[in-house]
Amino acid sequence: MALTAWFQHFFKKNGIVLSIYLMSAVLLWMVIMIILPQVFMLDFSFRFNLPPGKIGGEEDVYTISNYRFLLFGSPGNPDPYNVIDTTVFFRTILAAIFVTVFDLLLCYPIAYALAIVAKGGTARLMVLSLIVPFWINEILRAFAFRILFGSSGVINTVGMTLGLWDTPFDFIKADIALYAGLGYAYILLMIFPIYNAMESLDRNQLEAARDLGAQWWRIHWRIVIPFSKPGIASGCTMVFMLSAGALAAPQILGGPSSLWFTQIIYQWFNTGGNWPRGSAYAIVLLAVCILFVLFMMRVFKVRIGEIGR
Amino acid sequence: MKSAQFLRVVLGAYIVLFFAYLFGPLILMSITAFNSSEFPRVTPWDCFSTDWFNVLVEDKRIMTGLRNSIIIGFGVVCLSVPIGLAAAMMLTQVGRRMKSFFYTVVVSPILVPGVVLGISTLIFWDRLGTMFDASYNSVFYNGIFLSILGQSTFVSAYCMLVFTARLQRFDPVQEEAALDLGATNAQAFVKILLPFLKPAIGSAAVMAFLASFENYNTTIFTIVSESTLTTVLASKVRFGINPSISALAVIIVVLTLICAIIHEAMKRQEARRAQAAKDERVVADYASVGRFATSPWGIVLLVFLAGLGTIWLATRYDTASCKMRLQDERQLRLEQSTPSTPAVTPGAATPGTTTPSTTTPTTTPSGSEPAAKPYQGIFAPQNLDQVAPKDEGEAAPAGEGKSDGESKPYQGIFAPQNLDNVAPKSD
Amino acid sequence: MSVDVKLEDVWVRFGSFTAVKNANVTIRGGEFFSFLGPSGCGKTTLLRCISGFQEPTDGKILFDGKNMAGIGPNKRPTALIFQNLALFPLMSVADNIAFGLEVRGIGKAQRRKKADELLDLIALPGQGDKKVGELSGGQKQRVAIARALAVEPEILLLDEPLSALDLKLRQHMRTELREIQKRVGITFIYITHDQGEALTMSDRVAVMSEGVIEQVADSVTLYDRPEKPFVASFVGENNDFRGRVTSVSEGYAEVETSEGLFRGRVSEGNRDALSGSGPASIFVRPEALKIAGTATEASNAFEANLLQEEFEGNMRHLVLESKGGQRLRMTLVNDGHVLDYGPGSTVPVVFNPELAIVLPQEA
Ligand SMILES: Nc1ncnc2c1ncn2[C@@H]1O[C@H](COP(=O)(O)OP(=O)(O)OP(=O)(O)O)[C@@H](O)[C@H]1O
Ligand SMILES: [Mg+2]
Repeated sequence: MALTAWFQHFFKKNGIVLSIYLMSAVLLWMVIMIILPQVFMLDFSFRFNLPPGKIGGEEDVYTISNYRFLLFGSPGNPDPYNVIDTTVFFRTILAAIFVTVFDLLLCYPIAYALAIVAKGGTARLMVLSLIVPFWINEILRAFAFRILFGSSGVINTVGMTLGLWDTPFDFIKADIALYAGLGYAYILLMIFPIYNAMESLDRNQLEAARDLGAQWWRIHWRIVIPFSKPGIASGCTMVFMLSAGALAAPQILGGPSSLWFTQIIYQWFNTGGNWPRGSAYAIVLLAVCILFVLFMMRVFKVRIGEIGR
Repeated sequence: MKSAQFLRVVLGAYIVLFFAYLFGPLILMSITAFNSSEFPRVTPWDCFSTDWFNVLVEDKRIMTGLRNSIIIGFGVVCLSVPIGLAAAMMLTQVGRRMKSFFYTVVVSPILVPGVVLGISTLIFWDRLGTMFDASYNSVFYNGIFLSILGQSTFVSAYCMLVFTARLQRFDPVQEEAALDLGATNAQAFVKILLPFLKPAIGSAAVMAFLASFENYNTTIFTIVSESTLTTVLASKVRFGINPSISALAVIIVVLTLICAIIHEAMKRQEARRAQAAKDERVVADYASVGRFATSPWGIVLLVFLAGLGTIWLATRYDTASCKMRLQDERQLRLEQSTPSTPAVTPGAATPGTTTPSTTTPTTTPSGSEPAAKPYQGIFAPQNLDQVAPKDEGEAAPAGEGKSDGESKPYQGIFAPQNLDNVAPKSD
Repeated sequence: MSVDVKLEDVWVRFGSFTAVKNANVTIRGGEFFSFLGPSGCGKTTLLRCISGFQEPTDGKILFDGKNMAGIGPNKRPTALIFQNLALFPLMSVADNIAFGLEVRGIGKAQRRKKADELLDLIALPGQGDKKVGELSGGQKQRVAIARALAVEPEILLLDEPLSALDLKLRQHMRTELREIQKRVGITFIYITHDQGEALTMSDRVAVMSEGVIEQVADSVTLYDRPEKPFVASFVGENNDFRGRVTSVSEGYAEVETSEGLFRGRVSEGNRDALSGSGPASIFVRPEALKIAGTATEASNAFEANLLQEEFEGNMRHLVLESKGGQRLRMTLVNDGHVLDYGPGSTVPVVFNPELAIVLPQEA
């Protein structure tokens, strides 16, 4: 009833041509591009890996074996659970959290400098210099870190020349290159939300606090940080999601023995040839990200609209 | 007061370090593109060389990937800009309740990992294809089509945010005014709303293209048997690296810088024009040129171009002889496992060289790769395949850790060669 | 050519809120008609109903007897000048003016000609190539009028078009608008909360309050013979003595107030409402109050305390407080007499029943 009234109003307001454009574009996006693919992926993750001929046949029934595999491994697995995959999973989550915290610490002062301290032209120049590196391909950025941290890379050369260490240190094996590269990759997505939130802070508040004799850290703790909460939530969510879901950086910078969860997913699709299992793993990743978003919304008391911008 | 000053200094130093972190890797990478060394490095410096740029443009896989990337980029622009616009307009028209549901659904692609979007798109169309019994040549399995759809899923959300921001400043009464004067809804849309949104359409399109162009996580799944620039780059980087990738990076860095400078200049001009309109003062054009030339960016640009130009002209012809000298030194110093085939360098044929060039035949350090090839502009078919294995030879002993030990040419993304070292257990 | 507009029992509701209550009015072709009322009383809503942006929840809108229900704004012979003008900032002045012709598919040369004509009409000749942003407030105003006139509407609707202008310009534009209306000869429906505008320009005015049309009349009648307490106090200044009716006779009524028994005029329409001893008000304009002794004695007399005097050259405004504690205003023409009373003194006040209006109050 209310819906038909709404449609009538909608068509009247926009006219036929425009209404059809708006409706079809939005429906295409929401249904065909967003909702249905997720639903199909969810459905697929509960199926057996069958050859094309058997799909839709009587063997094509629902199963939770793909999820069980993530937890317990194959039936012949001597361990009580799937050691490799679960380890990778938890390490990925922890590492993503680590990268998120690292970026937050790294970017907060810059966002503050940009929003509160810098003025006019300087601020604009800084913004521009922040954006420029991120127009450059993700792969190339990872590649740059590989050059930097390689055994004959600049850091090793400089370090050895200065006599800090005498044999080339394998930064890649130690995952230092990976963390540096991941942290680097998402700097912008941490800075800008915080900057946007901070920018509207009334500077008089800071002056007033300073007048009252508050130390600088107290000013941040009591005024600046609470004020930029939505930005921090948004930045952390984005960085966590992107690092947990990163594929290129771990592939390029990850040590040979340390896999990222996305790499396992990729392998199921690629060489593993087990798409349903890959879907199940992707669903788990998706669930983690959704939980993280909800967690952030809860902790920072922000709405999704404030996170997704 | 003193502590405040101290804090300022600390913050300033921190900013300097931060920007060093931001630009250092890119600058170093750019420098490696000019080192003739087979492995991208700054030290030790072998010879100045622009050969890697030629290696790059002659790399068929990179060029195919580039072509696909551009096609997909345009596809994404054509799909996600209209979708983002429609969604932004829809947001202004739905009721409060519906709005928050709708918004949650459409921003979710931004908050979901790219790999998940790629996988879900791949599976959705694969299953549809299975349902319709479509052949593997059909659109359901077409990497370009799938990539356009997969990328547009989240790029549309970015576009929507751009349009929403702009629409917030639109006065809907203007549309009513147009209707009142007899315009149809479509006319009001085309003549009033679209012109207002034009800048937003422009920036949404640029952003959509860039986002598509550099996307990897979604594309790697949706591209199936095709390739894009990023997937080619990724497979190259994963299986041994050579400075032709640095050369590509240099090109992208320079393009980016130029775009950024143009963007900044345009913005300043606009601001100045607005200011001038306000003051009703006319600012002479030469003044703005002069100011641009003295602005930090103008200086950066001038220095950059001048530096590039001089280096280009002054040292180009030296490369071959330098390489030869280096080669000799090396041959003296150590046993070389790779047999080097002599190649003839017709240096005189080098176009665009103003300095006298050597006509001495030269052997190159890169075995089968003729040093003159870069200037001839004709592609060398064996180029990539032979550079790659050599790479491995350099990289593996150096402990770069990612060699696959094989020297086959790389194939599609789903080819077995793209296997990571740790293969998943299969049951 | 010009069209009658008739509103029949028009109601507009937004959810539970009623913005227009039972509006009934006929606007004659070629008339300059104003809706006057305080902010938020539903004027714009009513105008949007006439122009077709808003469907009435109930009731009919007739143009020359033809029901307009379901006919969109782009199909009605109206042109609306919006409260904020809504000029198209990305188009030149001429393009703005010719927009209505453009969407009707009229050729470029003809559009340009029409635009030039209209630019002459609004006294901005040769300014067609300017950007809208380069115009002054008053010029924008006139361009908005020209844009609306370009489509040759039969009814021009104006929604507080002068509210953004400064006082001088506003007064100038009043005469100009009136002249334009005379020249083009079409119906103007004008909305304002400024009574000066409404009274000076209009042939007739409808006074609105909280969605209700209180009275429709020409300016003089509105001022001298208000039919509703709201009209009496909203249009011009008025002193309001509250009390109860004691008697009603042909054309007059007597009201018992805290200051005494006062006599005033009663209109035919209000006679029935006043019979019985219901609550009523007697309204007396400041210029109708006189100091006893300086004017001919009248039946209505009382005493008040002088609080303050405001001298305005040609006028003297006295602020008084009656015995019952009511604030009153009295306006005296400065005819050279020295005022005999200083602040704090008691002033005897009288007024003529001919100039006092008795109106029924809601209980
Ligand atoms: N679309 C709407 N939805 C809900 N309420 C509305 C809507 N439009 C108007 N109203 C309400 O109707 C009432 C009358 O509004 P209207 O715009 O007609 O006032 P107005 O007399 O033009 O006032 P002003 O002089 O300030 O322009 C107001 O209380 C307003 O809040
Ligand atoms: Mg209004």
